[in-house]
Amino acid sequence: MLRLIANRILQAAPVIVVVSILAFLLINLLPGDPAVVIAGDQASPEAIAAVRHNLGLDKPLIEQLGIWFLHLLQGNFGASLMLNQSVVSAMGERLPVTLSLALLSIAITLPIGIFAGAVAAYYRQTWIDSTVMTLALLGVSAPAFWVAILSIILFSVTLRWFPTGGYTPFMQDPVLWLRSLVLPAVMLSLFQIGFLARMTRSAMLDVLSQDYVRTARAKGLGEWKTVSKHAFRNALILIVTAIGILLSTAIGGSVVIEQVFALPGVGRLVVQGILARDYPLVQGVMLIYGFAFVLINLAVDLIYTVADPRVRYD
Amino acid sequence: MADLRRRDFTRGALALSALTWLPLSVGSAAADPKKGGILAYATVSGPGGLDPHVSSSAVELEVIHNLFEPLVTLDNQNATKTMLAAKASASADAKTYTFELRKGVKFHNGDEMTSADVQASMERYGRVSPNAANLAGVERYETPDPYTFVIHLKEPNVVLLDVMKAPVFPFMILPASQKDKPARGVDVIGTGPFMLGEWVKDSHLVIKRFDGYSADQSAPGRDGYAGRKTAYLDAVNFRFMPEATTRIAALQTNEAQLAGSIPFELRGKIEDHPELAIREIFPLGGVYIIVNSQYGATANLGIRQALAAAIDISEISDAVGGINKPNPWMSYPNTPYYPGDQTPAPWYDQKNPAKAKELLAKAGYNNEKIIIETNSNYQWMRTTMLVVAEQLKAAGANVDVRIVDWTTNASHMQQGTGEWNLSTTLFGPEHILGPQQWRPLIYAFSNIKGNDALDADYKAFFADPDLKNRREIWVKIQQEVLGGGYMIKIADTGRLLGYAKKLKGQSDYAGILQLWDLWLE
Repeated sequence: MLRLIANRILQAAPVIVVVSILAFLLINLLPGDPAVVIAGDQASPEAIAAVRHNLGLDKPLIEQLGIWFLHLLQGNFGASLMLNQSVVSAMGERLPVTLSLALLSIAITLPIGIFAGAVAAYYRQTWIDSTVMTLALLGVSAPAFWVAILSIILFSVTLRWFPTGGYTPFMQDPVLWLRSLVLPAVMLSLFQIGFLARMTRSAMLDVLSQDYVRTARAKGLGEWKTVSKHAFRNALILIVTAIGILLSTAIGGSVVIEQVFALPGVGRLVVQGILARDYPLVQGVMLIYGFAFVLINLAVDLIYTVADPRVRYD
Repeated sequence: MADLRRRDFTRGALALSALTWLPLSVGSAAADPKKGGILAYATVSGPGGLDPHVSSSAVELEVIHNLFEPLVTLDNQNATKTMLAAKASASADAKTYTFELRKGVKFHNGDEMTSADVQASMERYGRVSPNAANLAGVERYETPDPYTFVIHLKEPNVVLLDVMKAPVFPFMILPASQKDKPARGVDVIGTGPFMLGEWVKDSHLVIKRFDGYSADQSAPGRDGYAGRKTAYLDAVNFRFMPEATTRIAALQTNEAQLAGSIPFELRGKIEDHPELAIREIFPLGGVYIIVNSQYGATANLGIRQALAAAIDISEISDAVGGINKPNPWMSYPNTPYYPGDQTPAPWYDQKNPAKAKELLAKAGYNNEKIIIETNSNYQWMRTTMLVVAEQLKAAGANVDVRIVDWTTNASHMQQGTGEWNLSTTLFGPEHILGPQQWRPLIYAFSNIKGNDALDADYKAFFADPDLKNRREIWVKIQQEVLGGGYMIKIADTGRLLGYAKKLKGQSDYAGILQLWDLWLE
């Protein structure tokens, strides 16, 4: 197991290097100039040039890339131009929000998505299947922005169950923390539930038609045991893969939800960084995201070995 | 020597206009102010930093103007008024400015403000501010005693106080200990009625009442950015909510009592609520088409003037919506430099495609591409330029509309880079400040180079002590800029603020957010 982890981390190194080069080039190739954003509307060309010089943006691109790599090797991810703080500290302040949101939404998604998908597969081509799949399709295709706003109007303004927006840290008040996250997490999980239900249904359909399931039934095993022990267990590989994808998108793709619910998470930070052409911030966050996705993939691979004993990496 | 005193400086040779102190307020002015309470203000986004000397961003200035104070500032008629200075005077040759400081003014750290702090602040401003060019004419500073500060200039500058009252890149006074701090690196210590509390980036920022605040007791009450300020609220919590619907929902649920930037089409959501109301803030700024005078066909004066002839302002205003009022000038009505309704402005709102076509032919237009650059971030800018594109097409221009993001768009306009002929932007409070604040914008945005008439007019403006003459020069400058098609004025525009009716004491002065003299019933 340790060898597997070490191997995977070694294999991830070139991925991280490519991600970091892409992150650097993509943000630097965008038109627009952070010096203009920092210097302000009324700044003279001389003032803008001075800002650019102070930030080292007047150096050739390849030299800037070299300096960035040198700093990375020293564990220095750089400092945000717009926030005047280190990228790691800016990320550290916002990561708890994004992680809380992602994990809560996954916690909501897993039981509902898997159960709905399994039920749809079991009752395939019945009204139950059609209803579940229609709802799943709605969840996948409804614009998160629109649904989130409707949910605020209903649950916050009309029913007053939840706050309209904002975030309370867990250590400050666990109840308020939960209240501030329930609505955004539910909204984020709508897409995820739809996705996971469809993946689970597909995986379960494959398995339910296998010989060993028929054999289990023939030898008189109860339906619950047949489905849960023989069918579901064998469908897990695909479901675990789907969960890995969902976790990645929940961490990286909650921008819209963070925006609507005014949550100070990493998604909003990246969007602001891109708009302000905050090169070090966007590069640093993309690199840290790269690490996170590699770790999630590694975790998924490890779970494969638990879910299916036939999977071996040695 | 011309003296500028609180409530009594209109006699001075450098004064801008006659003014009277007018107490203006929204809602019930009769109710007794009540101390206490926390106001939650739902605003679009939070500040990146709180360094007043480098700040031009509206979200930063909304906080900064409640924490810091300058020597001179704007009153509710937008004229110059002393704030931390008790008296400001200029020598007859306009080369020496003397400021007598108010005594007993405390910083948030408890230290008393003296001339050493003022000198350190001015020196820091000259080192770090993007607006430092305005201090280029300073020969030296002098502090003869702890309550006197003197600026010696190399050349006469009759509008130095008008420059120093600017609310953008404000000349705020910081403790001398901040002198060597880098841009965006200051400790947030001012003399304002509020002091910085908790600040969680991207989430919220709290400012607390500064109980040691030294109000200007000589003034009868609030007066624009000046006057006697009283902080009634215990604290103000700026909550950063990018979505307008969320801000309105926060007002409706009383999670916020004040909400900024309400879209015009959503004002009904607030007006229909019995406990909420809308406040129109007008004028917020002026909307202009920027014409790139250094690129392609629009380098040609005749073509620029032809394009201006095709513009129909009412069509644009109807399409964009919101609060828009036509005004051909670069100054607002009722401000010192407004040329008046009778002064002819033939370049404005011509709505004449036939004339435009004729002028294009006369200017030798050969169907070159007129590239309109706009952005995906601001819908009103996009709508404006799409309507403009159709108006220019009707005049026979070969128009190409390109949409980029705002950062790119702004960078292109300000630096004159990229390939574009026309774009659009909104200029904020420069209208109320006057020609001295307009100068860098005029030269930068339209990329004006080699216009000797404009250069000469500005040189004359800065040297002429007579306001009447300066007004006439300002008309000539506008004739050059607008008549020469470097910029095409669209309209003056405003914005909407939503508030709970229990929030009392709001002024209808259209300045940057002022939280003093507000209280919660």
